[in-house]
Amino acid sequence: MRPHRVWKATAIVGWVLALALVALAILVNTTALGERTWLRVLFGVSALNFTLRAAIPLILGAMSGILCERSGIINIGIEGMMLAGAFAAFVAKTNTNDWPLTTSLLFSTLVAVGIGGIMGLLHATFSIRFRMDQIISGTVIIILAAGISAYLFDRDAVAEGKFAPIAIPLLSQIPVIGPVLFAKPLLTYLALILVALLHVGLFYTRWGLRTRAVGEHPRAADTVGIPVNRYRYMNTTLGGMVAGLAGGYLVLEAVGQFQEGMTAGRGFISLAAMIFGNWNPFGAMGASVLFGYTQALQNELLLAGVKTVPRHFISMLPYLVTIVVVSGFVGRVRPPAAEGKVYETEGGE
Amino acid sequence: MANAIDRRPGRLGRFLRSLLLPVAAILIALAIGAVAMWAFGDDPLVAYRGLWSGAFGDARALARTVRKMVPLIFTGLSVAVAFKAGLFNIGAAGQFLMGTVAATAVGISFPGMPAPLHVSLALLAGVVGGLVWGLIPGLLKVYTGAHEVIVTIMLNYVAALLAGWTVYAGGTEGQSPGPLWDPTARAVSESPDILESARLPLFFDPAYRLHAGVLLALAVVVFIWWLIYRTTIGFEIRTVGLNLKAARYAGMRVAWTVVFTMGIAGILAGLAGAIETLGVNWKFAPEFGGQVGFDGITVALLGQTHPFGIVLAAFLFGALDAGAARMQFESGVAQDIIQVIQALVLAFVAAPTLIRLLFRMEAEEFEVTTISQTWGGGSG
Amino acid sequence: MSRKRLFFLMALLTLLALVLAACPAPAAPTAPAQEQEAAAPAEEAAEPLAEFKVGLVTDVGRINDRSFNQSAWEGVLLGAEQLGLPEDNVKYIETVDSKDYADNIQQFIDAGYDVIVTVGFALGDATVEAAKANPGVYFIGVDQFQAEALPNVAGLIFHEDQAGFLAGVLAAHLSETDIIAAVLGTDLVPPVVAFKEGYENGARYIKPDITTISTYHPGGLDVAFTDPEWGAATARQALDQGADVIFGAGGITGNGALQEVAAAAQAGQRVYCIGVDTDQWYTLPAAQPCLVSSAMKLITPAVADLIGMAFQGEFPGGNYYGEVGLAPFHDFEDDVPQEVKDQLQEIKQGLLEGTIDTGYNP
Repeated sequence: MRPHRVWKATAIVGWVLALALVALAILVNTTALGERTWLRVLFGVSALNFTLRAAIPLILGAMSGILCERSGIINIGIEGMMLAGAFAAFVAKTNTNDWPLTTSLLFSTLVAVGIGGIMGLLHATFSIRFRMDQIISGTVIIILAAGISAYLFDRDAVAEGKFAPIAIPLLSQIPVIGPVLFAKPLLTYLALILVALLHVGLFYTRWGLRTRAVGEHPRAADTVGIPVNRYRYMNTTLGGMVAGLAGGYLVLEAVGQFQEGMTAGRGFISLAAMIFGNWNPFGAMGASVLFGYTQALQNELLLAGVKTVPRHFISMLPYLVTIVVVSGFVGRVRPPAAEGKVYETEGGE
Repeated sequence: MANAIDRRPGRLGRFLRSLLLPVAAILIALAIGAVAMWAFGDDPLVAYRGLWSGAFGDARALARTVRKMVPLIFTGLSVAVAFKAGLFNIGAAGQFLMGTVAATAVGISFPGMPAPLHVSLALLAGVVGGLVWGLIPGLLKVYTGAHEVIVTIMLNYVAALLAGWTVYAGGTEGQSPGPLWDPTARAVSESPDILESARLPLFFDPAYRLHAGVLLALAVVVFIWWLIYRTTIGFEIRTVGLNLKAARYAGMRVAWTVVFTMGIAGILAGLAGAIETLGVNWKFAPEFGGQVGFDGITVALLGQTHPFGIVLAAFLFGALDAGAARMQFESGVAQDIIQVIQALVLAFVAAPTLIRLLFRMEAEEFEVTTISQTWGGGSG
Repeated sequence: MSRKRLFFLMALLTLLALVLAACPAPAAPTAPAQEQEAAAPAEEAAEPLAEFKVGLVTDVGRINDRSFNQSAWEGVLLGAEQLGLPEDNVKYIETVDSKDYADNIQQFIDAGYDVIVTVGFALGDATVEAAKANPGVYFIGVDQFQAEALPNVAGLIFHEDQAGFLAGVLAAHLSETDIIAAVLGTDLVPPVVAFKEGYENGARYIKPDITTISTYHPGGLDVAFTDPEWGAATARQALDQGADVIFGAGGITGNGALQEVAAAAQAGQRVYCIGVDTDQWYTLPAAQPCLVSSAMKLITPAVADLIGMAFQGEFPGGNYYGEVGLAPFHDFEDDVPQEVKDQLQEIKQGLLEGTIDTGYNP
């Protein structure tokens, strides 16, 4: 299979590049090289920290998309599920401010995940039971989440405290890599673990095999006794939960407060990351990190006071890179074949 | 239209029946909105009365509703035309902005040009601006397989930044200001007012800002209806949207159709931007992006992607937008409830099964809008 | 707040309502909530005070945004309280789309309001236009510089550069790394630019070689003040680059920055943050671990005063300068040495008298 081989090659190139960058980053941050402004802008610890922080919600959003779409349900509503999760986390947090901080934060995370799951279930119900067009259903979820969260948002409520970094012993002592990767708050670790879990789950378990079968060839899956729609319900709900976690991350770890519309298009960007990563967890993670990096770069340039180029053009970088990447070197990605189609159990339309 | 020997009711009857679903959806959405308001201690009756009087209460209110309707018609059509070809144009917002900027550029230039010529030229500029922004995703899709959803989302961001730069005041950073910036605006990033000769004629009281773009909008609706349902290219667009394989098999120019459709979609959104500039705003400032692009999606879906349906949907959304401020003024209810109602309307329209269950109607009465069949992969 | 407690439940219920609506239960068609004539509130007896009405139009944003819209609204409430106006005589409209400024102002004019407060520099044109068409109505334009004085428009403006300058002086004294940062809303809005320029120049006034890393939000007006995530991430970036005092000036975006610095302070880092507009010790308690002071522009009392003047018919048309200054140090009283406090007092005096220049000339 040629496309597969192309992807293998891309993955290898990606890993080599990533390792080279890490080596470079270590050099820049530990040696005299760091005195050069442009090197610091490109590889400084602050740029790397920013990259990861911007990438986490994108990674989670992309994982949410993969969960749904691998089973054949298009999820354009990630943005809305994320926002619902963020709002739920905020409401839960403000109501549990008097609990011990960690308990309150963990509880709020669970609430975010739960509400995200409900949104996912809603999406599944719309698209499977009511045969609503999946893109329309996603759009409905986005508008609904935006409207409801803004209407109910009590701006006088204050969430107290957010997840603090946890330094992993030994690992966090490694220069550069330590502070960037191993001294992060809980949800960051969780997101990264989730990527690996999803990869293993999708490609090495029965659940993954069945999910992919349902997404690629529901008729055949049905024939061998896989409950197509039950898998779709389950995966879309799981996807919603992961998107809810992304929202929880924004409120409970990144900011500490809620703000209407605070997802600010991250759901859409993670959709792009998912497609860019060809519906593979690690691919999507790579894409998310790339988007995060372009954002970091933009901010580094602003902080470094680069004035020769109007900031508008610097800010365009992430989006232009995405367009170039999506149209140039990814070329034709291949989505799960049965996406977007209603599956009727009793033989056809 | 071929099966006229059908035993279904006549044209008028069918039209009325097709209204049944949206009307039911609107009523249920309003009812749920009322329950939500009531649950939060707001008074839904006062709120809806305010909404009504803000949208239809007097001449000024009605003018406001119509004025708000115009850009929604265009962006709704823009999204709908793309839907017809199985394309999802999330990029109406960006195309709208590029149309705005182009029309502004022409509108503030050429002093002394006769009004009809100047207006036409500015509108044309808007068309070109939108066209370029619509063609990019079309061409990229055909030649590289890049998915239009991603490209149009990204182009929205690029357009917002590009448009912002054109009127950028330069700040205190010693950067050069943008080409359309108004130096008399001091530190403010906005363009000068467009010249009198480039403004669209106003009807009735000039304070209403009810402009000639309304007529243009209605003309364009008829034109698009004709294009989609009465021409060969329209047939090709619909065929590509319904069944890509069949279109290829029949020897249709699929790639060309995709590019053409995205071009039309871009033109429509760009025209919306131009008309808003020449009729309502009379200048460009970076915050004039608004919701209009995203609302276009909702309007297109609510209008069942049919040009005439879109007019009705745009009218409804225009009225909701126009009445929202008055509603808040009269009742203190946050305007976000409007967004909730809009989402509910869309949900009920898009899931006819839901309404059908509620009202025990027969299944055949509604068509299910299907647009998501060509997600992913290149079609070219 | 009982409302707060209801939130979670309601969010769920609304969702469930949708799902449940699916059940083919014999649901009677819900009575459509149509516009029914509710009894109009009886008009109060004609008495000047009872008929004096004040309306407020926000900039795109919320009435309770913990930022300038809220400050202005609190000013309206304070002014109404001082005059003893009935509760129903003050109302607001939140602007959702910047194209609606004129429409929203018109709502109040049509309803016969006496004073209309328009918040934010972006409403300047619409305010002046409405004022010219309605000479009998008083307008208070917050952050709106008046190029030409109209008798019925008071442009409430501030020397933000002076507040920023004082914040910069404080920051320079507190910094040990000699790197200070500012996380700012947008340079599309002059007051933010004034804060930033004043801040940097104030810091250089104390330490000429200090490094200042300041950055504006790269987005448009629609997001620049409402992006706490960017604010937080950028503050973290500045901390990573060695900054130890961070000035957050830009509505909710700035608040995000303050909270991030607070988290770092709680984790034991020696870092300070400086808030903006109001004394953020009270408006943003989450920032207390690092909040040494705030560069204030006092919108609330100025709006209240102007409303009072309008009622008495002594309305000052043209530009009206509100008060600026530094907020109290609260828990950080001991971190700021007495000589620094004295110097701040001196500099404030100098700025007022014009013997010290902030270096910001728009």
